[in-house]
Amino acid sequence: MPAAVKQILERPWIWVYIAAIAVWGATMVFTQGQGGGDLLTAALAFATFSVIVALGQMMVITLGPGNVDLSIPATMTLAGTVATKVMDTQDSMILVGFLLALAVGLGVGLFNYGLIRLLQIPPIIATLSSSFLFQSAAIWYNRGLRIKPPPQLADIATRDVLGLPLLAAAVILLAVIVHVVLHRTTYGRAVTAVGQNTRAAALAGINVDRVRFQTYVFCAVLAAVNGFFFSAFSGGAALNMGQAYLLNSIAVVVIGGTSVAGGFANVPGLWAAAMFLFLVEAMLNTFGLGAGIRLVLTGLIIVGVIIAAGGQKTER
Amino acid sequence: MKWINVTLAAALLAVAGGGVAVADTSDKRIALSNNYAGNSWRQAMLRSWESVTGQAVTDGVVAAADAFTTAENQVTEQAAQIQNLILEGYDAIVLNAASPEGLNGAVKEACDAGITVVSFDGVVTEPCAWRIAVDFKQMGKDEVLYLAEKLPDGGNLLEIRGLAGVFVDDEISAGIHEGVAENPQFNIVGSVHGDWAQDVAQKAVAGILPSLPDIVGVVTQGGDGYGAAQAIKAAGRDMPVIIMGNRHDELTWWKEQKDANGYETMSVSIAPGVSTLAFWVAQMILSGQDVPKDLTVPFLRIDQDNLEENLANTEAGGVANTLYSAEDAASVVAEAKAM
Repeated sequence: MPAAVKQILERPWIWVYIAAIAVWGATMVFTQGQGGGDLLTAALAFATFSVIVALGQMMVITLGPGNVDLSIPATMTLAGTVATKVMDTQDSMILVGFLLALAVGLGVGLFNYGLIRLLQIPPIIATLSSSFLFQSAAIWYNRGLRIKPPPQLADIATRDVLGLPLLAAAVILLAVIVHVVLHRTTYGRAVTAVGQNTRAAALAGINVDRVRFQTYVFCAVLAAVNGFFFSAFSGGAALNMGQAYLLNSIAVVVIGGTSVAGGFANVPGLWAAAMFLFLVEAMLNTFGLGAGIRLVLTGLIIVGVIIAAGGQKTER
Repeated sequence: MKWINVTLAAALLAVAGGGVAVADTSDKRIALSNNYAGNSWRQAMLRSWESVTGQAVTDGVVAAADAFTTAENQVTEQAAQIQNLILEGYDAIVLNAASPEGLNGAVKEACDAGITVVSFDGVVTEPCAWRIAVDFKQMGKDEVLYLAEKLPDGGNLLEIRGLAGVFVDDEISAGIHEGVAENPQFNIVGSVHGDWAQDVAQKAVAGILPSLPDIVGVVTQGGDGYGAAQAIKAAGRDMPVIIMGNRHDELTWWKEQKDANGYETMSVSIAPGVSTLAFWVAQMILSGQDVPKDLTVPFLRIDQDNLEENLANTEAGGVANTLYSAEDAASVVAEAKAM
């Protein structure tokens, strides 16, 4: 086997890409090629939202054991609710709404890390309890009312050019930037170092507190941005809009080849994993299988992909 | 002549008395035992109860109609609550139960203490209690019957189901499939689970849509219609007839389409005000009228011509509602007797 091919096959994320393509292919065989392009467009459109939050979750998980952000759904809901209500369907308010969403993310990140650092609460509990506060704030602020996004924003969020959704293109770019930050900047290397061995990282002169603080804020801001665009994409913010993104964000990170134990992050795998999860559901729905069988098969397929990817890693 | 007058007066009295208390219930006390209040439907249910029973108490129809909700949606908690209501000496308990079987012990105790128990929405199986149940199967079937009338040529349908493994989901779906079996011009070409949630439905529909042929209708379970519309619009397809489920966002979207291009569909679900129907049934039983043990809740159906009226009465983010009167309860009872 040529060295280049071998090198590619050793990447933990390549298997997820192979799996995603295989799932898409199986769907196309079933439909005899009908709607292949449309299916990819839909997968890209929905994977975009999974990837935005997964980028943040990946950085948090990479910080090491016990680090996970459970407040992502509530942050999405709060940011989406506040932004749509303030924009009040006015195109002229889009920028204000976006800045407000960013501010909500910033506030959530500060609050979360405040609980973790100042009150010494484990991240899992801190973000879980803060998520109740954010969710309640969203309910209190808007009482579950669905306000439509400004028309221009809705247009941007749902538009695609030659089958590539605009948002997906932007988030592919974002993923490339995060990849570079992770591997080529002091901050990125510090996140990995803290995740591999916090004590060693501290002794090496890394300001562990600052790295963790930046990462939790980064994750919260991405969740807020996701809430902003998702409410534009789906016709308004709803109180339960973030619900699907809690387990999804963790699953995408793990299936994408990032180590659950921390210290090893993987950006290219995120897109593959997000597309893969969407395509699996679409495939099983297209086959017309019953709900029970669908869930069982989804579980088996995910386990299969993780084993295939993990098996490659241990050979090294 | 005199005789005729007397008969006429008696007949008039009988008409006036129809549906209103036979025996006086002004000293009777009715309690609502409710297991959950954490969503907009239940909130509307409790508010409906308050407004209708509050008026009934003011009018002196009954002495009291208090609402009690358990905090944790637990069977044990609600059983304890019912035991408290027995001790407090209520004459009737109107019950939305946390479990169909779990509360039977407590319900039996109440019956043995001479208390009338009327369960609705979440009904109980204990034979001594009355049940006001929802015919979800018929609701699913009605959707197909509407489509059969509107689209005589038939065509392909997409089915959006609810939460997998839940009784309601199975029942509505069974009704839809029964309707399709009787109307073979229709063909269900795809089925996804939307979990009664807008965003889940949008994602599931977007995933299956590319593989589907043209569809003329979407049969739903409520809460999912707006999401389906979003996904179909994003895919650039012609908008099929999407059955709605009385949610505010669904009705708003329908109204916009109706104004823009004359879009036609219908919407069906259960009104949260069913709690007030249960109240009047309990009042009828207390007044000594003969009421069959099993009653069926009428659906709240919205059509093209009464859309605006219903939308105006639906609070933002909520579900279309209707409050029932003593006459409504009497007609539901009469219907059950006729069966």
